[in-house]
This record gives sequence, structure tokens and C-alpha cells, in this order.
Amino acid sequence: MDDIKQAILDFAEKSKKTKFYFNDMEKAVRKVMPDIKARAVKKAATALINEEKLVYFSTGSTTMYGLKGRGQTEDH
Amino acid sequence: MAFEPKEEQKELKYEELRIYSDEELNNYTDEELKNFKIKHDIPMCDELESGPWPSFVADAKREALHRRKLADGRMMIEREVVEDMLGQLEVSFEHGETHWKHGGIVGVFGYGGGVIGRYSDLQDQFPSIAHFHTMRVNQPASKFYTSDYLRSLCDLWEYRGSGLMNMHGSTGDIIFLGTFTEQLEPIFYELGHVMQQDLGGSGSNLRTPSCCIGKARCEWSCIDTQAMCYELTHFYQDELHRPAFPYKFKFKFDGCPNCCVASIARADMSYIGTWRDNIRIDQEALQAYIGGEILPNAGAHKGKDWGKFDINKEVINLCPTRCMGMEDGKLMIDDKECTRCMHCINVMPRALKPGMDTGFTILFGAKAPILEGAQMSTLTIPFMQSEPPYDNLKENVIEPLWDWWMEEGKNRERLGELIQRQGIQKLLEILGIPPMPQMVKEPRSNPYIFWKAEDVPGGFERSIDDYRTRHAR
Ligand code: HEM
Ligand code: HEM
Ligand code: SF4
Ligand code: SF4
Repeated sequence: MDDIKQAILDFAEKSKKTKFYFNDMEKAVRKVMPDIKARAVKKAATALINEEKLVYFSTGSTTMYGLKGRGQTEDH
Repeated sequence: MAFEPKEEQKELKYEELRIYSDEELNNYTDEELKNFKIKHDIPMCDELESGPWPSFVADAKREALHRRKLADGRMMIEREVVEDMLGQLEVSFEHGETHWKHGGIVGVFGYGGGVIGRYSDLQDQFPSIAHFHTMRVNQPASKFYTSDYLRSLCDLWEYRGSGLMNMHGSTGDIIFLGTFTEQLEPIFYELGHVMQQDLGGSGSNLRTPSCCIGKARCEWSCIDTQAMCYELTHFYQDELHRPAFPYKFKFKFDGCPNCCVASIARADMSYIGTWRDNIRIDQEALQAYIGGEILPNAGAHKGKDWGKFDINKEVINLCPTRCMGMEDGKLMIDDKECTRCMHCINVMPRALKPGMDTGFTILFGAKAPILEGAQMSTLTIPFMQSEPPYDNLKENVIEPLWDWWMEEGKNRERLGELIQRQGIQKLLEILGIPPMPQMVKEPRSNPYIFWKAEDVPGGFERSIDDYRTRHAR
């Protein structure tokens, strides 16, 4: 689990975008860990949300993930 | 494995939960309402009140007046939220464009759905709607409420939100319209810990499942829609609250093909109650319909004289598969041709009833996208028995389907679009279902079913010499 979390954070930090789709995060993790299942990536992402390292960004119809503190903040 | 609640459902008592006194709830007179003007000039909004229909503008003005008259400290967000909302709407009408900013990082802790961030882009002009977040409250199955529950909910929202709500959103949720970020967690706490009430889904989540009134009131229900909706809502909590899908996903449950929650038009996965055996016929009641002793459609059309009931004109010739007819004064149905359209049953409910061997049909992929136009869901699994806790459904249909969509679906691609892109045959392969001729509606324009070598006895490799022994050149 920790290595998946790290892979997500690496991707989030390197990414030029401040928010990204789950799908893209999953693909990035799979580059490092080819056999990883989507559900495992989701568990790790949820853990990072709970640790307040990642945040959800929702338009209402779609949800994206972002690194906390980067890009848009909670007040906007 | 079925969902087990961790705590018993409490009976909510408004007297214990109420925030406002009766005097506070009824704090203005009709006279005051008639003379009431909100702080902004809103001629175009006012105009909306003039038509024959009840208007949300009239409702909003009542709420605005009600808030004007509540004492200080009796509302946690600005008193003038409703007035500012109407004021901004007027400006939007003038400009022909919206002044709401969409989206954001708002929510309640740990949930990726249920709260939709909205902000005004005219915050200086309309400060009390600087934040105007929407919350989705998961409606009870079939929308059965007690008034204690509704009144408690209304008090909570008056106190911590705008007091404006919408019953119900198109996914079925009760929609709370407009509050500030600071109020989200307290509302979530009250809902969850006091009222045992969860938020619904939004974003790339499983959306709040919804069901028709089902066996609770309807004699046609072939499945317990409420039980299925309840179980799958709870069992898939993680999917409802923590987004990892390419886009939204909706379950809707209809007890019969009358489709009262319109699952066929609105759900990525539509469950529609059906039967495998024959329509039950009561020939005596049928004669009573023919003789005019029982009114067709349970009297629904009696407001106008449509003439004597004609079973041929009104039922038999309208059967879409022409599978019924009278023989020696008795109605006969060739049930293997019946598509379960419900027409004959709807017209003569005392003579005809759905069969007894009941279950549900599953259809996939309805959506109403802007680019391609509305699409109904496609019948894929003709019959499944409804057996709680629905392990067969969860393990062999829902989860393989989600795995496929999560793997192959593009960002913001609905299941129906993935099925179009990769073909219905791919879907059948994922679900392990054999193709049926009925799935191919028009071979010219629809996806073909292609055989694979392993499906054909002997595969595709044949000896041409052997063929030539029978067919000379
Ligand atoms: C009683 C005789 C026949 C009947 C009732 C019949 C009926 C049909 C029908 C219903 C279709 C499908 C149309 C569609 O929706 O696309 C069809 C397609 C076709 N028929 Fe016939 N047909 C008959 C004889 C023949 C014969 C004798 C030939 C050739 C020698 C033939 C060649 C074809 C071909 C090439 C197609 C197109 C197949 C495809 O859709 O890929 N048919 N026929
Ligand atoms: C110079 C001669 C021919 C030309 C230019 C020609 C052209 C075409 C074209 C453009 C199509 C439509 C393909 C499509 O859009 O699906 C077609 C389909 C067809 N042709 Fe021809 N054709 C010729 C001769 C023949 C002959 C001699 C036969 C039969 C003996 C024949 C039988 C068929 C059949 C059965 C189809 C339907 C195939 C399918 O869509 O599955 N054609 N042809
Ligand atoms: S869908 Fe069928 S079972 Fe459900 S309420 Fe409507 S008529 Fe009754
Ligand atoms: S349910 Fe519809 S298809 Fe079936 S017999 Fe009645 S009218 Fe015909």
C-alpha cells in the first residue's frame, strides 16, 4: 500500500496539472507497478485523502484528485 | 454477504429534534406577504409568478420574508441569502449568462461526493451567496417519509442553510440548495449521527440508487424494489462516496415494465421487474370489462365519454407483438411472443395480472448526453431471479462490469458510450452471456455478432479439397 501511495504522490507532484482524473493516476501507478488492480489504487487514494495529502475536486458531475495546497484552494 | 446496519434505526421525533417554535415557523401574515418586496429589483423574476403554474419565485419570496422575521442568531448563514439568490438570478437574466462558479474542493471529510461547490462570481453585489453549496441527501427508498423526519430536515436546513430545497433531484436525492463551507460538517454530523441520514452521490461516483414504489403499494411489482435498492445502496457505500469511476453511474429499480422511475431512460444499469411464466387471465373479469361492468384503466379516463369499451380496438390490436386474440369468447395470449409491455394489464388490471415466476431484466447504458442525444438502455440479461442478498448479481454482473468500465472507459465516458465504442459483443464477453438474435435489431446499422473460432465446431480452418469433393468448380 505504501508504495502505491508513494507512486500516486510522485505522479501528483510531477504532474503539470493541478487536478487529474482517477484514470490517469491509475495509469501512472501502473507504469511503476504493472500488475496493480484499480481497486488497490483506489484504496491508496482514499487513504491519502484521509491523511489529507490529496483532495477531491468535484464539478458536480465529475470528480478529480489534486495535491492538497497546490493549485486551487478550499476557499474558491 | 448482505449489508448489516451497525445500529438499529431510530424513530425520529420532531418534538425532540425541532429547532424552531410554532411561532417562529408561522411568523408572517398573508397581508405582510402581499406587501413584501425583496431588497433587489427583480422585474423579470416577478414575471415568472404570473403564469398558471406555481412558481419557485413565489416560494422563494415566502422564505425570504420568513428569514427577515426570524430573530438574530436563529440562522447560521446570512439572513438575506434568498434575496441575494433572486437578485443574482435577475442579473443573470439581464446578461443572458450564469453568475455561478462551478466546482471546487468542498465536501465533507472523507467523502468525494454529496456536496457540490457553488460560488457567486458577483460576491460584492451579493455577499450572502458568496458560497452557495448544494448538498445531496440520500432519499429513503421509494421516498417514503414520516412528517417527523421531513420537519426535522427542514428545521436543520433553515438553521444551517438557505432553507431552500428541491424535492427531488433527478437521481432522487433531496437537494439542499445553498450554504457556506463552514456549515457543511455540522450539517453532515447532524444528518449522520442524529438523523441516521446519509448524503447521496455526485461526481464520478455511484449515484444515489432509486426505486419505484414497488411491493409497498403496487400489485404489479415483480420484485421487491425497495429491498434491492436498500441492499445495493449500502453494499456499495464505498463506490457511492469515494469516486474512482470514469464518470457517474446510476442504478434504478422498477418493479415492472411500466417503469415508473424511468430506469430504462436514465440508468446505466436498469433493473426492471418481469415474469417468465404466463400472464394470469381471469376470463370472468374479462367478460365484465367487455360488458362494461368494470371500467378500463381502473376508470382513469372516465372524465370524458370515449364510447363503449372495445377490447379489439383498445387492447388486442394495440398489443405490440400481436400475440393475443379471442377464441370462442376467451382471451388467448401466446406468451412466448409477449414482450411484457404491460399495455393489456394496464387496461384490464382485474382480468390480467403478471405471472408468478418473477424476477428482473437488466438493461445497460442509458444516458442523456449533450453531444449524441438521449439513449435508452439495451436489454442484455433477460431474466434473473431476485434473491437477497443478490450475491449472483454482485459477483457476476455488477463487479465484472465495473472492472471493465474502470479499465477501458475513457475519462467522462459513460457505460453506454463504452458499449457503443467497443461493441455489445465485448459487453457480452465480459459478462459471459451468449448472444441472442434479439440483440441484433438491424444488422445493417447495429453491431454484428461475430463468431470466434472457438465458438464454431471445428474452428474456421477447413480443407478446401474436402469442399471441392462436393462442389465442383
Ligand atoms: C424466401 C427467400 C428469402 C427470404 C425470405 C430472405 C429474407 C432476407 C432477410 C429478412 C434479410 C435481412 C435483411 C436485413 O435486415 O438486412 C436478408 C438478407 C440477405 N439475403 Fe435474403 N432472403 C431470401 C432469399 C435469399 C436468396 C435466395 C439470396 C441469395 C442467393 C439471399 C441473399 C441475401 C443476402 C446477401 C442478404 C444480406 C445479408 C446481410 O445482411 O449481410 N436471400 N434476406
Ligand atoms: C461491378 C460489379 C459490382 C459492384 C461495383 C458492386 C458494388 C457493391 C457495393 C458498393 C456494395 C455495398 C457494400 C456495402 O456498403 O456494404 C455491394 C454489396 C453487395 N453486392 Fe455487389 N457489386 C457488384 C457486383 C455484385 C454481384 C455480381 C453480386 C452477386 C452475385 C453482388 C452481391 C452483393 C451483395 C450480396 C452485397 C451485400 C453485401 C453486404 O453488405 O453484406 N455484387 N456491392
Ligand atoms: S414500475 Fe411497475 S411495479 Fe413499480 S410502481 Fe410502477 S407500475 Fe408499480
Ligand atoms: S403485455 Fe403487451 S406484449 Fe404482452 S400480451 Fe399484453 S399487450 Fe401484448
